[in-house]
Amino acid sequence: MHRTSSDTRHSRSELLRRAVLAGGALTAGGVVVGGLPRLASSAPSPAQDIRILNLALLLEYVEAAFYAEAREKGALRGELREFAEVVGGHEQEHLAFLKKTLGANARMAPKIDFGKATTDPDAFVEGALALEDTGVAAYNGQATNLTAGALTAAARIVSVEARHAAWIRSIVGKLPAADATDPSMTEAEALAALRKTGFLR
Amino acid sequence: MTERRDDLISKAPSVELDLTLGALDPAGAICEAYENVYRDSRAGFLRVAAVGGTALLGALAVVPSGGSQSANDVDILNYALTLEYLQASFYTEAERIRALRGKSRQAAEVVGAVERAHVQALRSALGSAAVARPTFNFRGVTEDQKRFLKTAVAFEDLAVAAYKAQAPRIDAKPILAVAISIHSVEARHAAWMRRLFGIVPAAEAFDDPLSRPEAARIVASTGFITSSGKTERAGSPRFTG
Repeated sequence: MHRTSSDTRHSRSELLRRAVLAGGALTAGGVVVGGLPRLASSAPSPAQDIRILNLALLLEYVEAAFYAEAREKGALRGELREFAEVVGGHEQEHLAFLKKTLGANARMAPKIDFGKATTDPDAFVEGALALEDTGVAAYNGQATNLTAGALTAAARIVSVEARHAAWIRSIVGKLPAADATDPSMTEAEALAALRKTGFLR
Repeated sequence: MTERRDDLISKAPSVELDLTLGALDPAGAICEAYENVYRDSRAGFLRVAAVGGTALLGALAVVPSGGSQSANDVDILNYALTLEYLQASFYTEAERIRALRGKSRQAAEVVGAVERAHVQALRSALGSAAVARPTFNFRGVTEDQKRFLKTAVAFEDLAVAAYKAQAPRIDAKPILAVAISIHSVEARHAAWMRRLFGIVPAAEAFDDPLSRPEAARIVASTGFITSSGKTERAGSPRFTG
């Protein structure tokens, strides 16, 4: 993972400072702009990349295990089964990539219990929707906190998570994309959303 | 639906971005009198109010236009605007022509409104630095559902790859935050259109970026852009929002 040069880093932090200053006038024109990106309190750094990529790793651990268990149990049929197979393969690759990138800094696999979500089609859909939408929002929420090198890598993953999210939504008759932007989550919000699935023990 | 998807995975690798766009057949297409169609669609182009998620788009304007936006960011935003013009015009025309049915029609309407919202937000952020909308001739692909979907898949996959290549190059954080969020919406669109077309919505574990020259070459190869946009300062655009 390459790092930004010190020159670039300097100019980025300067731009960040200016952007934050400009952010003080977000109600300009009388229009309150909601849902603004929450900017990092510190400039991107390799240490911060490690923390963020470990959040991504946690999500990928859960996703990969979810689809692997669904495939192993073999209870899904039709397009849901195909979805679990294709998407599960992708999540395994994301997991392997992040583990390799983080090396000794990689966190441990979480303890997981999916209950009936890997066998009951309705529960599976609910779990997949939550995991994929959370994945997209978590990656998007960290984009401005990553170094350019880490962002380049993360951007190759987040659009695939968005494709997964759209696919599962489409299967169950939900609009795959209704909004002009995707929501973003902070690290704390992403962890809360992950816990809300009940999959973490 | 189930039968159609049986060979989905085996079919997927054959649909590459270049191939999809390169396989379009402008010569054999009906050359629609596009101007006539388009002239009536200005109201449609403005119809973005019903789209959700536009609040974040406002962050594009956080860095005041003409003031602190770096030349680099202005350049990237104009590139994004050109791609959004292409998409928005395509869906708006498809909607106007009414050749689509059922789920494809619904997708064109929803996605079209989102692309128009992207256009509007980018133009607003760029102010007088915004490039004008080019003129387009979609050569009949909006008149046939299958060709529409094939083109939509190509456009959306192209947009995902193009935004992906630019995101790490953006200077201002608020602009990056919006761009990365538009990027994942384009990926949702790509998956949606792919499924409607009958190919796997997510073909690979990692989506690759596409450089600007490569994207320009692909777009040029379609012949869809019949005259390029200039900056609004340099000339008056034919159609403005």
